[in-house]
Amino acid sequence: MAMTVELPAIEQAGEAEASVRPSARLRRYARPALGLLLPVGLAAAWEFAVWRGWSNGRLVPPPTKVFATILELAQSGELSRHVVATLSRVAAGFGLGVLAGTALGSVSGYWELARRLLDPTVQALRAIPSLAWVPLFILWLGIFETSKVALIAVGVFFPVYLGVMGAILSVDRKIVEVGRTFRLSGPAMIRRILLPAVLPAYVVALRVGLGLGWMFVVAAELMGASEGLGYLLLDGQQLGKPAQILAAIVIFAIIGKATDWLIEIATAPLLRWQDAFAGEDRGQ
Amino acid sequence: MLVLETVSKTYPNGVQALARFSAEIGEGEIVAIIGGSGCGKSTLLRAIAGLDRATAGHVTLDDDTIAAPHPKIGIIFQEPRLLPWLSVADNIAFGLSELPAGPRRERVTHALERVGLADKAQAWPRELSGGQAQRVAIARALVPQPEVLLLDEPFSALDAFTRRDLQDHLLDLWADSRPTLVLVTHDVDEAVALADRVLVMRPRPGRLFAEIIINLARPRDRHSPLFDNFKRRVMTALDRSLDRDVPDSDAKSNTGEAMWW
Repeated sequence: MAMTVELPAIEQAGEAEASVRPSARLRRYARPALGLLLPVGLAAAWEFAVWRGWSNGRLVPPPTKVFATILELAQSGELSRHVVATLSRVAAGFGLGVLAGTALGSVSGYWELARRLLDPTVQALRAIPSLAWVPLFILWLGIFETSKVALIAVGVFFPVYLGVMGAILSVDRKIVEVGRTFRLSGPAMIRRILLPAVLPAYVVALRVGLGLGWMFVVAAELMGASEGLGYLLLDGQQLGKPAQILAAIVIFAIIGKATDWLIEIATAPLLRWQDAFAGEDRGQ
Repeated sequence: MLVLETVSKTYPNGVQALARFSAEIGEGEIVAIIGGSGCGKSTLLRAIAGLDRATAGHVTLDDDTIAAPHPKIGIIFQEPRLLPWLSVADNIAFGLSELPAGPRRERVTHALERVGLADKAQAWPRELSGGQAQRVAIARALVPQPEVLLLDEPFSALDAFTRRDLQDHLLDLWADSRPTLVLVTHDVDEAVALADRVLVMRPRPGRLFAEIIINLARPRDRHSPLFDNFKRRVMTALDRSLDRDVPDSDAKSNTGEAMWW
């Protein structure tokens, strides 16, 4: 027998608990600031260029002018009217799209028969550019809110449907088997194994859906609306007010990002278990 | 008493994985099933676990025919298969959902202490090393106090030190309540170190080839000549089961290192 030394088997003593270093907090705030460097730098450079008279800034207004426009809109109460209009359209369309996408996506993911019946049709519909529905929706649902909400819901539906179905289909068979060995009933299997396993992908699907919701609200409002941020864009184009267009774009960016961030915040506690890579460990 | 009666399994593609396998395994006995790849040892274990159904024959535990996972049978897989969204403590408590919170917590705490991970109760599975994760899996399978515990190559993914440590640990835990252990392995050393009886299987189709009783007292000294002797006997049976030439015993002792593939 080969030489073997009797050693007590050593189990790695708990890998040094992630200690919070004082510099960690600083880095936590410094890192996002790094991302701001480029846009803020460009904006400042442009501002400087217009201020020095190198450009008249008529077609590309400098940041101060854009912010002055936003301020003006806010003071007149116009801004909140447009923002509320757009937000409520997105909210309604997103809600409907998520409901339908989640329901059909889980049915197709869970039952093979349903998938065979449903999925080909859904995929075929998905291949149609969603904007192609616009004329039909206007004919069917009128030119007011209903057709706009329907268009947004269609945009949100597909990523959510695909995300939910794909997530259910890719749940690890081995984990499901653990549930089987503990004799989980159907509902318990869904609640204790499938739902938590699907959650990370579902959150991503929601965020993608929301992104598309914002995209489609612009399309819907460009088609003809008397209020909303998309209306501001169109109005700015027709009356030759680039500052107003940019103001609307900036506001779109802000509330788009803010709503996305809300989803992230709301779901973060549920996904704590998988934050290892995206969280503390990366970039050390 | 766990009884396997002419258990056979033919997969839908026509491959016969298991042919008329019969064995009786007594209460508290430790049986190792060993064999070359494709000998149907995992298929057999899955049939005992009720995860797959045998196409012929049946498995009974104390007169209950096993057709689906049974409350008295626990299983430990090759991978820990912890649920990543549950803390270590909640993973261990996974099979105890019928128990009220108080006794459940007690049992989990006790199990954590027994596997030496009391300080990891609130850790996430991703924070554990491979050996620690497998110990949590062992605790999870043991807390419902199964009468039969099945192990499907449970330590094969671990390094040699951790593997030996966990083997000793498993024996320790087994001594607490003495469940029946059925261990599928391809590691001769492991089989001889743990089992009362080693069943050697022959492939294509999988069937019982030889039975070797290991009547060594516990704790076993892995370096004693007797231990080596049993290892050699198991190895010889394995070689025969694969229709290999059996080298004479002198040559054998040189190649008789821990792993057999």
